Amino acid sequence: MRRVAVVGAGMTPFREHFGLGIKDLVPMAVSEMAAHVDKGLDRSDIEAAWFGELSTTDGFPSGILADTCGLLDIPVTRVENACATGNDAVRNATYAVGSGAVDVALVVGADKVRESSTRTTFWEWAGMTRDSAWDYPLGLIAPANFALHVARYLHESPATREHMAMVAVKNHRHALPNPKAQLRFEITIEQVLAAPTVVEPFGLLDCTPQSDGAAALLLVAEDVVDRYTDRPVWVRGVGLGLDRVMHQHKRDMTSFPPTVKAARAAYAMAGIGPSDIDVAEVHDCFSGVEMISYEDLGFAERFGAHKLLEAGETSIGGRLPVNPSGGLKAKGHPPGATGVAQCVELFEQLRGEAANQVDNARMGLAHNVGGPTAVSAVTVLGIGKD
Amino acid sequence: MSRLTAIGTVLPGWSDGKRRVVGLDEDAVTLGVAAARVVLEKAGTVPVDRVVFVSHDLPLLEGGNAAPLLAGIGLDESVVVVEQVGGAPAVLDAVAGALPGTLVIAADLLPAGAGAVLVGETGPELSVEGRVVRSMPTQSRAADGIVREYDDPRLLWEQGVRRSIEQLELTERPTVVAGLAAKQARQVCSGTPPELPVIGGAAAVFALAAIADPGGALVLAVEQANITAARVDGVPTVASVAPEVRPLPRTRTTPGPDIAISLAAYDRAFEPKLRWEAGSCDACGTLALPPRLRCLECGSEEGWSLVPLPRTGEVYTGVTVHVPVPGLPTPYSLVIVQLDDVDVRALVKVTGVEAGAMQIGDRGTLVFRRISTRTGIPDYGYAFLPEADVEAAQHREEASA
Ligand SMILES: [Zn+2]
Repeated sequence: MRRVAVVGAGMTPFREHFGLGIKDLVPMAVSEMAAHVDKGLDRSDIEAAWFGELSTTDGFPSGILADTCGLLDIPVTRVENACATGNDAVRNATYAVGSGAVDVALVVGADKVRESSTRTTFWEWAGMTRDSAWDYPLGLIAPANFALHVARYLHESPATREHMAMVAVKNHRHALPNPKAQLRFEITIEQVLAAPTVVEPFGLLDCTPQSDGAAALLLVAEDVVDRYTDRPVWVRGVGLGLDRVMHQHKRDMTSFPPTVKAARAAYAMAGIGPSDIDVAEVHDCFSGVEMISYEDLGFAERFGAHKLLEAGETSIGGRLPVNPSGGLKAKGHPPGATGVAQCVELFEQLRGEAANQVDNARMGLAHNVGGPTAVSAVTVLGIGKD
Repeated sequence: MSRLTAIGTVLPGWSDGKRRVVGLDEDAVTLGVAAARVVLEKAGTVPVDRVVFVSHDLPLLEGGNAAPLLAGIGLDESVVVVEQVGGAPAVLDAVAGALPGTLVIAADLLPAGAGAVLVGETGPELSVEGRVVRSMPTQSRAADGIVREYDDPRLLWEQGVRRSIEQLELTERPTVVAGLAAKQARQVCSGTPPELPVIGGAAAVFALAAIADPGGALVLAVEQANITAARVDGVPTVASVAPEVRPLPRTRTTPGPDIAISLAAYDRAFEPKLRWEAGSCDACGTLALPPRLRCLECGSEEGWSLVPLPRTGEVYTGVTVHVPVPGLPTPYSLVIVQLDDVDVRALVKVTGVEAGAMQIGDRGTLVFRRISTRTGIPDYGYAFLPEADVEAAQHREEASA
């Protein structure tokens, strides 16, 4: 397979964009990406596009991308893979470029969550990921899906709610310098613990906000990379993993097997291990999920995630900063855009241009888990080709 | 004449401050199922080929309560179900007219309670002594469901109840009365009649269950000016569940759209979901809940058969939802239960205790409940009743003939 480089990255701020529709956010992200390609981008170079969108608003997703971005003469494929959507769109484009089918591919992720009232969308969203007869009527809302895992994790591991709060505090602090982040304010452990309970053991400040936004990447083949930049970031590994969809069928709920599988595939493709990662954007839709993911990604030993937090190893300045962008928790989480935006952050980190720069970052990892916890995608980006 | 083989009564554990009420996941069908299971457990293997279900609070007037009732009780789909709107006299009449193999179930919602009488070949005999049917609708409810009160209790007492009793021309005074308040029952009966916890149709079953004199009893079932009098010639076999009463927890209801239902999915899930059964792989015997085409273990797609699941287990993990959820009262707790003796876990709601009053490792039972109401359709299934509550429920008063 040919080597694949990221040569451009851009995103809208993550916000409640009440004034902007999906038809605004998508072209805004693409234009920002195009404006940041070092040597410029002629849109007619783009040969194909992959569009990650979880829940469509305003109609047919692929058509909206083609239409609103002036890309009517290329194939566009919509990718939907729950919260792994964005990184799976990256993965699909990587294979297309790597295979030689196309030299230049566009990856876009977007979602417009705050498009209708929370109550109206509530059951529609839940209906996408629950068994209609068995689970849906129970009121298995999104935080409950993850809380079932985290409750068992807290039961078996030495970690406590205080450790979960440390994740939230860290990611809010990381978001402060990030102009694209939705929640740019610091919080304290006391505030996290005292916040109203959403679903035990998650308080309001353990949870990601609802966000709108879009993000875009330009992926090109090594053969043409010089046309666009002298400082590419290379797609070193991609991986996707799945698990049984119903919680009842998951034997060990203290871990997310999809993450383990996706990470194994991405590390193998990159020829590296977890200790080679310098910076990571890890799925933290709920604070405890970041802790479990440390272990699934190989950053911590089993039930050892709390030690990384206690030692500050995953904060900026630590051994392996996690979510320097603020993560889903503070940067925001428009599901289809999230994975793509993680790669936007890594692109900037690896080029030394990030708002919250990690020193000497040479290898970065992006990770999502969703569906509700049945799929994971992992992408490894690096500044070295090999 | 019919024989009372066994009687079961059930009271919900909740109170609104004045009387027993159903929980948010209970209705006449779930109460009726509970009472029926109690009596059938007591009676052992007695065949049932007919069910008469009497209530003023049938959850559905159209669309059918019979299938959930049979599934929850565990009776075959071929059993005849007669759904009847009625009070205490209707229940006593149904029992009196029943052939052996009939299960008469009555469920009341306010105050809440349910009873079931198994009519069979054994047990004390019940025969009707007299019946008066007169109209004195001081309380009325039409198809719109709205209850209207004609506020004149003395009219009902003097011109309704007392006159109907006179018309019965009884040769002795009754020993127990169903359908009247305790004070009025005392005026009608000889001695001090047992106080019954309900006053609707289920009261007739509680009245039969209250018979303690080996010589038998004269039972009166009253509803407004309608009265049936029946004689029972012995003490029936009774099993009852009466948990201690706790205040019904306060919940928050958030307006919003109905939870959508797919009747195709409802139909596919109905048997295993309401009968608490798993699919057992025909090739290797691995159990799957819900049943599925491809075996979880061996991958066989050759077929599966439904088998009953254990109704006890232990909480593997659980959470409590506090955030407002449109269409569902909050807070509520969800648990994944590891069932005893099988490699099956179930994701269910918690019932019978306040939200959050459970933790990992708790033991309990799976009980038939209304999980939700989706676009007006009661969606039945099973919920987890923690053991602390089971113990309370086992304050069973049992009497044998
Ligand atoms: Zn099998």
